[in-house]
Amino acid sequence: MIEVRGLSKSFGTMKALDDVSFRINRGEILGFLGPNGAGKSTTMKIITTFLAPDSGAVTVDGIDVLERPLEVRRRIGYLPENVPLYLDMNIHEYLTFVGRARGLEGARLRERLDWCVEACGLRTEYRKNIGELSKGYKQRTGLAQALIHDPDILILDEPTSGLDPLQILGIRDLIKSLAGHKTIIFSTHILQEVSPVTDRVVIINEGSIIADGTVADLSRGAMGTNRVFIGARAEAGAVEAALRSLPVVTELKPLRATEGCRFEARGPFSDDLVGSIERLARERGWQLTELHEAPYSLEDTFIALTRRARGLKEVA
Amino acid sequence: MHNDLNMRGSLTIFRREFAAYFNSPIAYIFIIAFLVLNAGLFMTGFFLSGAADLRGFFGNLPFFLIFFIPAVSMRLWAEDKRLGTFELLMTLPMRTADVMLGKYLAALAFYLVALAGTLTLPIMVGALGNPDGGAIFSSYLGAALLGALYLGIGTFTSGLMRDQISAVILGIMACFLLFVLGIPAVAATIDGWVPGLGSLLQNYLGLSSHYEMMLRGVVGAADLAYFLGLTAVFLVLNALWLEGRKF
Repeated sequence: MIEVRGLSKSFGTMKALDDVSFRINRGEILGFLGPNGAGKSTTMKIITTFLAPDSGAVTVDGIDVLERPLEVRRRIGYLPENVPLYLDMNIHEYLTFVGRARGLEGARLRERLDWCVEACGLRTEYRKNIGELSKGYKQRTGLAQALIHDPDILILDEPTSGLDPLQILGIRDLIKSLAGHKTIIFSTHILQEVSPVTDRVVIINEGSIIADGTVADLSRGAMGTNRVFIGARAEAGAVEAALRSLPVVTELKPLRATEGCRFEARGPFSDDLVGSIERLARERGWQLTELHEAPYSLEDTFIALTRRARGLKEVA
Repeated sequence: MHNDLNMRGSLTIFRREFAAYFNSPIAYIFIIAFLVLNAGLFMTGFFLSGAADLRGFFGNLPFFLIFFIPAVSMRLWAEDKRLGTFELLMTLPMRTADVMLGKYLAALAFYLVALAGTLTLPIMVGALGNPDGGAIFSSYLGAALLGALYLGIGTFTSGLMRDQISAVILGIMACFLLFVLGIPAVAATIDGWVPGLGSLLQNYLGLSSHYEMMLRGVVGAADLAYFLGLTAVFLVLNALWLEGRKF
């Protein structure tokens, strides 16, 4: 379990973090989202004891990162954004070095090497110098390094940056396979990467947390309304008028359609938008080609939240 | 148990760093340059002087090593900062001092390998004449301690810098300062500006007098304390600086 309370950190006159708080329970996966330069890396560097905060505290399994850093480090596997590799070593030498430095030896070390090489798909390049590896293999070697001591907690800073779609899929699957056993924080500025892996996100912008919750909760809070797509084989004007007359519909937008007509309707979350429209269609005898809720993507939510955060700052 | 792990931690770092020296051709170039320049300089003077001793070789070392040693130590931290491995090292379950010690000892071992390459010189001198074995032994001890001190300085300056070029230049300047402070003429000049200051610096910081004693075959406690103490000061400063970087 990781608890972050009131972290602030400045570099010179630049305020990197401003009162950042959140917590992750054991076995949970947390997507740590934010634009570049938002403070994701700084937060992770403080959790992993690389940096100390100006104020605030972090505890890992109840252990304070400033008071007993070595105990915290033993529990954490960390992949920094700038993947830390010795280019003059091959994968075997490098992972052996990190394993030994983390106190592994003998049969246990060999067993962990085997596991990491298998899990991260490094077998074919195992004896190649790291300097000669492709970006994807370098990233995976970095991930293997973070896993070598079988840590309970994984802190992964942009684990998929610079990878091609297939490689991203591989890393994503690996993170998913660790779900449940390990507590994982992974940061990214690419929204699509979060949803397939986890529900829980913390969004940080300009050094402050602007959202913390599940993707569904966040979009609800950020957008304020539910969204439904409707398609019908009927006269567009009549459908539009009828839909507008529904009290649950607060917003209606005609969409382009190949046959009949299509609309996007919005209404409060508390109301049963789909049900009301279904009843209306039955009464009027429309033939529906489409009727479904369209959850907001993380993108929509993210943009709305950062806009709102900026607005609040400007007001203040 | 924790102390035990820390010792092993230093050993792990030592092994990686020592191998890193020999993983690149630079190590071999270094050692060959070290041997050729030192032995070459010594040999030209040796046959002219006609004395069967190694004063010429050991006498050159304090000046020569000013340039050689910072070049050996420049990569110790600066390279890790460039590669990003610095962040890995600083999040391993060992103290900064353990990592530092592993790195420092690896550089020292590398220097001792280069120094061991000069052992052909006493063998040759021994075959040609009848040198003072005790003086040669204490001179080697002095050369090792001198290198250890310069390496302490070089490790410290490498920790201050992000790139190796700055690290080596700063290291050369710092080693040069210690060297110059020990020269009597320099001490006399400083005494001329601020009476007593030059002699004070010469006695406490300048390395010549301490080193010279060892070349003559005298290994005094004060001289040992000077080299070991000052080396320790720079290593402690190095660890403190790297710890302080967190804040």
